[in-house]
Amino acid sequence: MQCAESLRVQAYFDGEVDAISAAEIERHAERCPDCREQLQDLERIRAAFRESVAPEPAPAELRARISRALDEEVRAEKLKAAASKPRRDSRPARAGFWLGLLSGVGGSAVAAALAVMMWLPAASSPFLDELATAHVRSLMPEHLIDVVSSDRHTVKPWFAGHTDVSPTVVDFAAQGFVLVGGRADYLNHQRAAVVVYKHGAHIINVFSWDAGSRTVPASTTRDGYRMLFWKVGDLGYCAVSDTGWDELSELARLLQSSPAA
Amino acid sequence: MDDTRGRFEAQVLPHLDAAYRFARWLSRSASDADDIVQDAVLRAFRGFEALRGSDAKAWLLTIVRNCHATASRQSARRALVPLPEEHDPHDGHAMIATTPDPEHDSISRDDERTFTRLLAALADEHREVLVLREIEEMDYRQIAAVTNVPIGTVMSRLARARAALRAHWRQQTEGAPRAVR
Repeated sequence: MQCAESLRVQAYFDGEVDAISAAEIERHAERCPDCREQLQDLERIRAAFRESVAPEPAPAELRARISRALDEEVRAEKLKAAASKPRRDSRPARAGFWLGLLSGVGGSAVAAALAVMMWLPAASSPFLDELATAHVRSLMPEHLIDVVSSDRHTVKPWFAGHTDVSPTVVDFAAQGFVLVGGRADYLNHQRAAVVVYKHGAHIINVFSWDAGSRTVPASTTRDGYRMLFWKVGDLGYCAVSDTGWDELSELARLLQSSPAA
Repeated sequence: MDDTRGRFEAQVLPHLDAAYRFARWLSRSASDADDIVQDAVLRAFRGFEALRGSDAKAWLLTIVRNCHATASRQSARRALVPLPEEHDPHDGHAMIATTPDPEHDSISRDDERTFTRLLAALADEHREVLVLREIEEMDYRQIAAVTNVPIGTVMSRLARARAALRAHWRQQTEGAPRAVR
């Protein structure tokens, strides 16, 4: 075992050497008792693995669990894909909304905002970090809400003066998502709007920002918080919470089926 | 999307058994292995585009290994102290079959247990290269990719792992009638 060739002998045994080296090593082992013994030991260990270590397949229960988790993942992806396509039924309302925004802010400001957005890679992880940090910061005392109201007619106009976007604001208390207020956050180099919901004991922050023509990142998990992304028109949305995917998907579905104005 | 799922199932899921075996040997716990593998497969699915025709098995096992590392760091941080024998690489009792099976209580069964026990008692960095080589039959290049070390390190770890296993084994079976010599 102390032979200087021992690593080469091992490589030979593991089939890692070419034919010429193999012939050399075989010739060497004929003369070297240490290397002959090493080869026998290697063979014994391999035999013991074959005899003693039963090939254990993954349990059927685990396979089923994984299959369910993949189903869920695909569903979340689909939801996101559906959200980034404009919906026929709500298009007139949205067109009006965007026209209103253009007339109010001015086309050049929108163009400038779009130009700023072009710098940002769609799925850049700094952005995800930014969102996760904003979510965590909001959970600290006195940080969650700037405007406390369960009335969307209070929250929505407040956004107009404090943020660069005008997201959908609806109270879904009947469905278990209680509107508790709104907040302005600096995100993506712009003043993003955050609509805050309470679902049971969980806080859900729904961030929205002007995503322009860019796609939103894939839904993911960061620091233990789930982030579900979708897009309506030029508005990117991300619901962040420690609640489950099903709950986030449900809230996203409700928001997407509500009129934008 | 369904297409992605289909390609994923065809390319990656055939290695699920290997992922599970590897997770078992890394974590030395069946329930931990379940969680590690599920986490790893989901991450693999999300990052599936990154695979691009490279070695799916080595890729999945790399993710399994990362998930295991993350899980052990987290459990250490939460101070969920594992049973002492799971922590001590020199204690070989961690992997003993939990329930004795009288029907198979033969000498060969004892040998089997001795061997798996010795294997479980190896240092983590030694056990993982040996498991990848002997159970998963991976070549040095693949092992280097999974364990994220140079091939030279794979070779020296394999040599040390095999020497340690052989030394312990000889010690264990010394004098026994069915000693493997």
